[in-house]
Amino acid sequence: MTTLLDVQNLVKRFPLAGTGKVVQAVNDISFTIGRGETLALVGESGSGKTTVGRCILGLIDATRGEIWFDGVRMGGGHNIRSKALRGRIQLVFQEPAESLDPRIRVGETLAEPLRHLGMSRADRDRRAREIAEHLGLKPRVLEQFPAELSAGLQQRIGIGRAVVTRPELIILDEPTSALDPTARAEIVDLLIRLQHEFGTAYLLITHDLSTVRFVSHRVAVMYLGTIVEEAPAETLFAQPLHPYSLGLLASVLLPDPDLRPANTIRLDGEIPSPIDLPPGCPLSGRCPFAEPRCRAERPPPVMVAPHHAVSCFYHEKVAALGRTTDNFARFQAESTKLLSAGAVFESAPEKEESHHG
Amino acid sequence: MNAAPPVLDVANLWVGYPSYRSETVHALRGINLQVAAGEIVGLVGESGSGKTTLARAVMGLVPEPGAIERGQVLFAGRNLAALDDAARRAVLGRELVMVIPNPRAELNPVLTAGRQISNVVLHHLGVGRREADRIALDMLRAVRIPDPERRFAAYPHELSGGMAQRVVIAIALVCSPRLVISDDATSGLDVTVQSQVLELLQTMVREKGAAALFITRDLAITAHFCTRIAVIYAGEIVEIATTRSFFRRPRHPYSIMLLAAFSHNPALRARWTRSQDAAGDAAVAGCSFAARCVRCRPLCLTEPPSLRAEAADHAVRCHFPVDTAA
Amino acid sequence: MSLLRYIGRRILFVVPQLLGIILVSFFLVKLIPGDPAVMMLGPTASQQSLDELRQKMGFTQSLPRQLLHYLHDVVRGDLGTSWQTTQPVTQDLFQRFPATLELISFGLLLAIAIGFPLGVAAARLKQGPVRKFADYYGLLAGAMPDFWLALVLIYIFYTKLNWSPPPLGRIDMAVVSPPTVTGSMVIDSLLAGDWDALSSSFGHLVLPVLTLGLINAGPILKMTQSTMERTLASDFVRYADMCGLPRRVVLRQAIRAALPSVVTIVSVLYGFLIGGAVLVEIVFSWGGAGQYAVQGVLNADINPVLGFVVFSAIVSLVIYLMVDLLYFALDPRTRT
Repeated sequence: MTTLLDVQNLVKRFPLAGTGKVVQAVNDISFTIGRGETLALVGESGSGKTTVGRCILGLIDATRGEIWFDGVRMGGGHNIRSKALRGRIQLVFQEPAESLDPRIRVGETLAEPLRHLGMSRADRDRRAREIAEHLGLKPRVLEQFPAELSAGLQQRIGIGRAVVTRPELIILDEPTSALDPTARAEIVDLLIRLQHEFGTAYLLITHDLSTVRFVSHRVAVMYLGTIVEEAPAETLFAQPLHPYSLGLLASVLLPDPDLRPANTIRLDGEIPSPIDLPPGCPLSGRCPFAEPRCRAERPPPVMVAPHHAVSCFYHEKVAALGRTTDNFARFQAESTKLLSAGAVFESAPEKEESHHG
Repeated sequence: MNAAPPVLDVANLWVGYPSYRSETVHALRGINLQVAAGEIVGLVGESGSGKTTLARAVMGLVPEPGAIERGQVLFAGRNLAALDDAARRAVLGRELVMVIPNPRAELNPVLTAGRQISNVVLHHLGVGRREADRIALDMLRAVRIPDPERRFAAYPHELSGGMAQRVVIAIALVCSPRLVISDDATSGLDVTVQSQVLELLQTMVREKGAAALFITRDLAITAHFCTRIAVIYAGEIVEIATTRSFFRRPRHPYSIMLLAAFSHNPALRARWTRSQDAAGDAAVAGCSFAARCVRCRPLCLTEPPSLRAEAADHAVRCHFPVDTAA
Repeated sequence: MSLLRYIGRRILFVVPQLLGIILVSFFLVKLIPGDPAVMMLGPTASQQSLDELRQKMGFTQSLPRQLLHYLHDVVRGDLGTSWQTTQPVTQDLFQRFPATLELISFGLLLAIAIGFPLGVAAARLKQGPVRKFADYYGLLAGAMPDFWLALVLIYIFYTKLNWSPPPLGRIDMAVVSPPTVTGSMVIDSLLAGDWDALSSSFGHLVLPVLTLGLINAGPILKMTQSTMERTLASDFVRYADMCGLPRRVVLRQAIRAALPSVVTIVSVLYGFLIGGAVLVEIVFSWGGAGQYAVQGVLNADINPVLGFVVFSAIVSLVIYLMVDLLYFALDPRTRT
């Protein structure tokens, strides 16, 4: 897999006007995304994950560090609107209703990004219709306005508008957070399918861990502007080694009363403000394993296995807690049993006819 | 179940909104739901299912131009919709309280957190300002806000989402209510904060011996914090059961579709899921879920199913309930 | 404290702002057609005497040079002389500005007293006579010219009923003016304990204040109503209702939240009326600053015009500073 996006030692600070204080939004993070790969950047609000996305788009300049997209350095005037990059990186937002122009029909929304690529009207319309087919949209939808559609369908249009230029990278900023669970599952399936068809790489920025598990190849967990753990998705969900990753996974609620959120670890309180951070580990204030050393020194990333890096002095202690997130695997086993058991009638009427019957 | 009369008794409730295009749109269609003291009932549904309308109807505040068409809501034996404004205000916030989502938008931006709690105490418990402030501060301690004295004097914009949510819980529980309604109260919170807040709410409801109705679109929340679960679809309760029975043996295809959304297996998800967009808008004469049901049969298109008890603690509105135990 | 620092910074900013205002208005005033020399000496004056006068007044210099001269004088507190009154402009304005400020201050107070409660009532009651009245009032106040209303009021209350004194100035010719303290005739007579002056100046004030109050209540009413409607439909009011707080408490909270936009519209109206009340001033021969500036424009008397601009700019800046401080007090979100 060749590298598509390479982020090296990215730092982003925002000075707070008139106070002399600095918001340390992103503190020295590095990661890469290969072609056709999905990296999830997971974190709670205030972790800096959205700032990373904006730096990658070149919309704001990094304070330090470099971002390379396919040999082009981003920032300093080079952004997704620059001619060389136009259409190659796209964005999908959290609120589909807000990111679609309410006065423009769906068909035109889908074709819109192609105008900036200098395509002829006929080509644009053809491409938009192609994409609509990929999205599984009925032709009638192309003539409708966003407000007439469900949130799930709106988000599908948002994704369609992103893939229509056949980008190499799509930044997905909380694409499923505003949706109902069933609509969320549909969007996840669509993203996976589109990646298979087009070979697009995704940077998935989210706090929704269940979505992450579905679509990502690799996961980077962010806390207060640093990546505290990075691993292949399966590894991270099966055996998280950073106390924060573990706490995050342990607090995910699963729809099974027997699978209580694990109480092996509790992260009390909330993510602190990223202003004037202390020198040590960012989690030291909330971490049950914290020792004096954690408050004095920032733990460097350690490679504990190939492709698995963790920034914690005491990750063995976390490992010793055992595979606490077995909950995920157990739930999947149980739900597979349950979902396979009930019979779906073979003779189910086709959906088109169903409500005229 | 419980011998005591229910705190909340919703009986055959129909709520409709007049529509210019066609006839009245029925947001709720014959809801029957009882919540007894000590119970936490989860009401699960997706956007547009009518769950928020139900919450408003329980408070006697169906938003205009909607109206209760049939049936009634009894709260502790009283019909709030029939009370005058002042009498209803004496009940709301005192005996029947609401925990809201997105508290930083819903708290008054120009009043301190402490003042907003003590305002409720002042007006409902008839104590002086000083005493109300003291009770409010105690309540902030009870909801385990860090540094309660400082938060007492903080404005909503100075609080994090989790802390603002704790303030809202404090406002809700400070008068020891009989029924707590939570309307997607934790949907805007981060995961680590969400479970903390839900646990707090559960504990406080139990401590006060209140009843609670947790309205949510997230089935996972109900699995851990509710004693009974009601699934609502298109204004009807399609399945209602104790938590244990529901998750051991869900019977309605829609309940299973909601569960399937959590599965990592795309084939199994696809097996149970039919997109809302495939459903179309036309109402069918039969089951309201027919258009999205993967098990739909001819009978389902013509005959609306009624809510039938499958077991003592489990009822389902389906002609052909799924047998997941098989 | 940071508040003091904030005020200090704002006052520092006044200097470049003033400079900009003077710059723009200087060139605009110079664009007004009309030759002051011709105006002063009359149409029969000889070319030679015209040239001499122009030379003397500095009109033969280049515009930037004239501007520099003017700025140089302004810094020393000299706004030049009006050739019409032959007095220093500062002296003229110190006499006339208080008259204008008295008029529009009382006028706006009345406008608030009418518009605000009516706006709140109209926002609360979606139907009914109050709402209807507010709707028509807003429409009428917006459509009616102030000078016309002034003439109607004079016709009714002076010509027909003779309840009010003649529309000539701020006080009867026969009554001695109280010593100037605040510049407001009414307040000064009150301070001096001079009852004759008080009743006379108050009587003169009634009709012009009524004019400005009735007209300007319109925009205040509209602004209050729309802000209150939004506030009453807002999440926090709905939440307060759900908490069962008494109706009057919820209303008080909503009014409190709506106040900043009312403050804004009042401050905008105030700044506008310094010059915008001129027609009312003329109808009542009020002798205010607006009237003075218009005379200057009509007679190519440049210094009064520029002086008026400088004065109103300072007053406006002071008002906007006060508005910011009010925001500080009203909305905790602006404090951080």
